[in-house]
Amino acid sequence: MSGMVKSFGPTRALGGLDLSVRVGEVHGFLGPNGAGKTTTIRILLGLIRADAGDARLLGGDPWRDAVALHRRLAYVPGDVTLWPGLSGGEVIDLLGRLRGGLDPRRRQSLLERFDLDPRIKGRNYSKGNRQKVALVAALASDVELLLLDEPSSGLDPLMEAVFRECIAEERRRGRTVLLSSHILAEVEALCDRVSIIRNGRTVESGTLAELRHLTRTSISAELANPPSGLAALPGVHGIIVDGSRVQCTVDADRLDEVLRELTRAGVRSLLSRPPTLEELFMRHYQSEPSPSSHGDATGEHGHAPAAR
Amino acid sequence: MAGTGTLIRLALRRDRVVLPIWFCAGLLPMGVAASFAKLYPSPDSLRAFADQCMSNPAIVAILGPVFAPTVGGLTAWRTGAMGMIVAAIPSLLIVIRHTRAEEEAGQREIIGSTAVGRHAALSAALIVTLFANLVLAAVVATGLMSLGLPAAGSIALGLSWAAAGLMFAAVAALAAQLSASTATARNIALGVFGLFFLIHTAANSPGEHSGVWLRSLSFSPSSISPLEWTRLIRPFAGERWWLFALVAGFVAVLDTAAYALSARRDLGAGLLPPRHGPAFAPPRLRSPLALAWRLQRGMLLGWIVAFALIGLLLGAVSKTLPTLTNTPQFSNWLAHMGAHDSAHAFLRIVLYVLGQTIAAYAILATMRMRSEEMTLRAEPVLATSVSRLRWAASHLLFASAGPAAALFAVGLAIGLTYGINAGDVSRELPRLLAATMVTLPAVWVMAGIAMALFGLLPRFAASLSWAALAAFLVLELGWELRQVSQPVFDLSPFAHVHWSAQVTIAAWIWLTVVAVLLTTAGLFGLQRRDLG
Repeated sequence: MSGMVKSFGPTRALGGLDLSVRVGEVHGFLGPNGAGKTTTIRILLGLIRADAGDARLLGGDPWRDAVALHRRLAYVPGDVTLWPGLSGGEVIDLLGRLRGGLDPRRRQSLLERFDLDPRIKGRNYSKGNRQKVALVAALASDVELLLLDEPSSGLDPLMEAVFRECIAEERRRGRTVLLSSHILAEVEALCDRVSIIRNGRTVESGTLAELRHLTRTSISAELANPPSGLAALPGVHGIIVDGSRVQCTVDADRLDEVLRELTRAGVRSLLSRPPTLEELFMRHYQSEPSPSSHGDATGEHGHAPAAR
Repeated sequence: MAGTGTLIRLALRRDRVVLPIWFCAGLLPMGVAASFAKLYPSPDSLRAFADQCMSNPAIVAILGPVFAPTVGGLTAWRTGAMGMIVAAIPSLLIVIRHTRAEEEAGQREIIGSTAVGRHAALSAALIVTLFANLVLAAVVATGLMSLGLPAAGSIALGLSWAAAGLMFAAVAALAAQLSASTATARNIALGVFGLFFLIHTAANSPGEHSGVWLRSLSFSPSSISPLEWTRLIRPFAGERWWLFALVAGFVAVLDTAAYALSARRDLGAGLLPPRHGPAFAPPRLRSPLALAWRLQRGMLLGWIVAFALIGLLLGAVSKTLPTLTNTPQFSNWLAHMGAHDSAHAFLRIVLYVLGQTIAAYAILATMRMRSEEMTLRAEPVLATSVSRLRWAASHLLFASAGPAAALFAVGLAIGLTYGINAGDVSRELPRLLAATMVTLPAVWVMAGIAMALFGLLPRFAASLSWAALAAFLVLELGWELRQVSQPVFDLSPFAHVHWSAQVTIAAWIWLTVVAVLLTTAGLFGLQRRDLG
């Protein structure tokens, strides 16, 4: 989808969002609360109609061809509400049948792995268990595409691990997954490519490797002599010098010069760490005025707005 | 009790639109009194009108006896049953909304974790309804006094409305403790109201209205219904203030029980224990229609059973109505509406009112879609291969066939019991069944209005649907009191199936066409709008 715009009254939820998910990949869809993740997914489901922009889903129009497309996908909402009088098992079967099929063996194994009692009625499930009902219904369905809106919020760490295993299995089966999340570790562990959105616009999109390329490497070193010209080098940020110890972050394209400078001072120990997604994320959601220069596939990028 | 004040302010804020609208209903008695004063300007004409009504057993059976042939007395007589409904139903719904509904939705948990006492929500709900009912009573009383009616009677009528409201606020407070489900709690409270209302109505029917028992209260079967007490207060006819003590006692006992239960249970839990369901869905549960059946069947069966029981009861008691047509006016009246005796006329009117009542079911069944949408339960269904049209059609089947089934049940029950009493089932059953089903297209128009609003103006769908029904009923009251002209009353779908009118096939077809058009407009809107 490209250039998606959606407003609710005076609030602009999406202001030209771009997103492309390739067949067979697990695509992470990252953004803080209120960034427009759920709105995007609801447009893809044809539940709401975009004001402008072009969206294609599995070769069809998500609004016009909704019913046909829905046979080929499964959706887990971020906030799962169940019918108070229906048991979890009934909901799983019903949603599976309405999608057009459920694998009973997979249903059984998922129930066991998620440790979910399907006999409990909707009103008596906890938030995490409601989430599990929707997950089992989606994962046991025979579909090509999974749209998951913050699916692991409410799961405990043990279940979070089970969830990650399941998504890894889905990828091996060749299913496409769009996983919206604000849990970075989850996306880092599961996703092939990532789109980061903020205020309804895509600010970054690419593989994790590509995105890391755009960010700074953290370096901490113990040197033989105090470094002399390090602080003056372009591309060095947040430098802390404590006698012969030095800590800083370095732009990827300036690493060469920094390393040369360090060797000149004599390296005793060196620790260099690639940026975590955490750092990527913080960079985009904290109002940092630094212009990020990069060229990613979407063409929708550039200056992260200075103010939130 | 800590935090009750804050919760009261929260409740008042959440109800800031509903409460003022509700208070406006308190102006109805003033309108009725003004009409009576205009229509019957002299004491003689008032007395003549009162005698005429009292000599019509069908009307007495429905509205009860006139206690005093004055403007005030006639107003109290005409608005008595109305006051029970107008005060009790909103009070009951408000209490459930601020107690069990909040608890089930989890909002109570947020509030319960703050510095708020265990009983704060219950106290806040009861105090808000107390305040609201007193305001309603004040509106009723001020309106009547502004017309120069006696202060004592005006205040007594206002307080008798408030008494009905407060008694059912207490019933709702107790019901809210019993079940963990909002729907069940609400149905328990509404069921109790329906039962008491039915006892009250049936008590008028035996034609013994002038009997001593109504005045003496002793051993009267109807006085076990607290709703009957509000009428026995007799505003404008020698007010019996001591009955308010009985009302206060009833409220105190129920509220104490509610507090006692609330102290014993866990947050979110009910007294009726949760039960497990099946681990697998039955094979039938595979379509939106099957889901709609699961969601709607309880309400539908409840209405059908209630209507069948009402039919059995009314068919049985109507035989006690005097059959002779004692005045020429009365026989003219019967001839005009095509009835052959007073029992038949009585049943025609009752069946018409039941038709209006089932319109409430039609609105509820249609609005089920809106609540499914708002609770986000529609979303996962519509994210499967179910189209919006198919989803809506599943629920609309209940909004259209449900009223037909309930009306058929009541028509069948009345036809059988009345026919057996009259000794001619084969003649009475088809006639009464036809008199029942005749209101159906007007009910469909109400469902159509609700659907059109749901499709085109979803945010206001529920409130405007109810407002439309209320407006049609007020229009009818005004028409009956000759303040609203026939062409204006014709705006109401019920005007075309009114018990006093000869219902034509053409009217029937037109109403059905209007209902279909409204529904189509709603579906058109639903297909094009955003969900959620």
